[in-house]
Amino acid sequence: MSLNRIFAIAQRIILQLVRDRRTMALIFIVPMVIMTIVDLSFPKDSGQQVLDYIAPGLLAFIALFFAFILTGVSFLRERTQGTLERLMASPVSRGDIVIGYPLGFLPFAIIQSLIILLFTIYVLDVHYRGDMWQIFIFLILATVVAINLGIFVSTFARNEFQVIQFIPLVILPQAFLCGLIWPVEQMNEYLRWIAKFLPLTYAISGLQDIMLKGKGLLECSFDLIILVVFAAALLFLAIITLRRAPSG
Amino acid sequence: MLDASENRTLALEVENVSFSFGSVRALDNLTLSVPKGVSFGLLGPNGSGKTTLIRILVGLLKPRRGKVSVLGQPPSPKVASQIGYMPQLSALYGELSIAGNVDFFARIYGLKNAGARAELVDETIKLVELAERKKASINELSGGMRQRVSLACALVHKPSLLLLDEPTVGLDPELRVNFWNHFRNLTAQGITLVISSHTMDDAAHCDRLAFLREGRVIAQGTPAQLTEATGNPEASLEDAFLYFTKQEVSCNVA
Repeated sequence: MSLNRIFAIAQRIILQLVRDRRTMALIFIVPMVIMTIVDLSFPKDSGQQVLDYIAPGLLAFIALFFAFILTGVSFLRERTQGTLERLMASPVSRGDIVIGYPLGFLPFAIIQSLIILLFTIYVLDVHYRGDMWQIFIFLILATVVAINLGIFVSTFARNEFQVIQFIPLVILPQAFLCGLIWPVEQMNEYLRWIAKFLPLTYAISGLQDIMLKGKGLLECSFDLIILVVFAAALLFLAIITLRRAPSG
Repeated sequence: MLDASENRTLALEVENVSFSFGSVRALDNLTLSVPKGVSFGLLGPNGSGKTTLIRILVGLLKPRRGKVSVLGQPPSPKVASQIGYMPQLSALYGELSIAGNVDFFARIYGLKNAGARAELVDETIKLVELAERKKASINELSGGMRQRVSLACALVHKPSLLLLDEPTVGLDPELRVNFWNHFRNLTAQGITLVISSHTMDDAAHCDRLAFLREGRVIAQGTPAQLTEATGNPEASLEDAFLYFTKQEVSCNVA
């Protein structure tokens, strides 16, 4: 692997996104629109308590959802426009590509997460107990997992239609099984077992501990470590599945 | 088999290579060799295996059978640094400028020094006659201009072997002539060019040719040798291709 090549890829992605003004606008405006809709949909008097409870899950889910779409579609575009093939024919390694990509997306995913977080706290007026910077760190970690998940999944897709099909397959089950709507502990045993293999479970659990119970990052270290393991494992799997030379 | 001295003068050596996409055989026991410093044309109709062969040479596909040697080594990321590859799609980043694209590929091919790289990027863009538009984004360019940027991306790291997959497709006659002028300059500098094409117009510009049909080489030699082999002094390369196609069919029938 080469640091120079990793940074070249990351820098190129940043430059590409910054130059694409419409995508830039969508990256920042869409989370705000979604959070506004969430705000408007909750009745101000009786709904606030429910909103306070689901806010950690909502934060994690929305951050995961946006980061997954952003990276999944961008990585696939690299394949469909032929630039991935061009890269794979160069001395670049699969590791350079798979590490350079999340690095390039990270600044945008961080800004998106920050927008979602600030909206949740200041516009939705959600009550929380832990430190905001700790919530933010946790959210960024969840976002990194989503970026790597997006890259890993898009290595299996051959066109945009396929990657869009992965959204209901990969993202929606996490919304229902990871404690966003209903606590994982109250689900059937086999569903609890499935939830253990879904990264959103740990993102929601950690954020709930910080936001609802006022715990610190150290006290959430189990969820934190599992998310780091998820991020590393997905990166590793993406490197393996991004084949340089299929044989035939 | 070729002996060691011949090997040193060869840029490419392909021996009995077969490749299939599922049940579809794209290359069938294909053998050819390309000497260093020549322009070598892979000529054949669509589906004859030209792109598959080029993708094998750059290491994007791995044949189950046969031997491939590129600049004396099997295809690998190490040897890739000496190859310039221009795929059939222009394969550029639409949001980036011409200079941004060429600079990116220069970095990918290991050119670390920013100052030296900037000079090389400018020089390469000048070579493809786009210096005045180097800050224009790819999305604003015509198809022909994109082809030129794509060529610049393949050239920027000064490779010793260029593999160009249908580089002249979609170019107007003037641009096609310009491209061939570039190619002649490159071979004059000792660079080996392998160009796939299905037009005989391109074939006439090459030093050597291989006619491909259904994944096999049906004839190879210089354009003059191939036309002479037809026995008709007036034969064009198109006639030669048809002649060898018929020869092969009749051989197969016999």
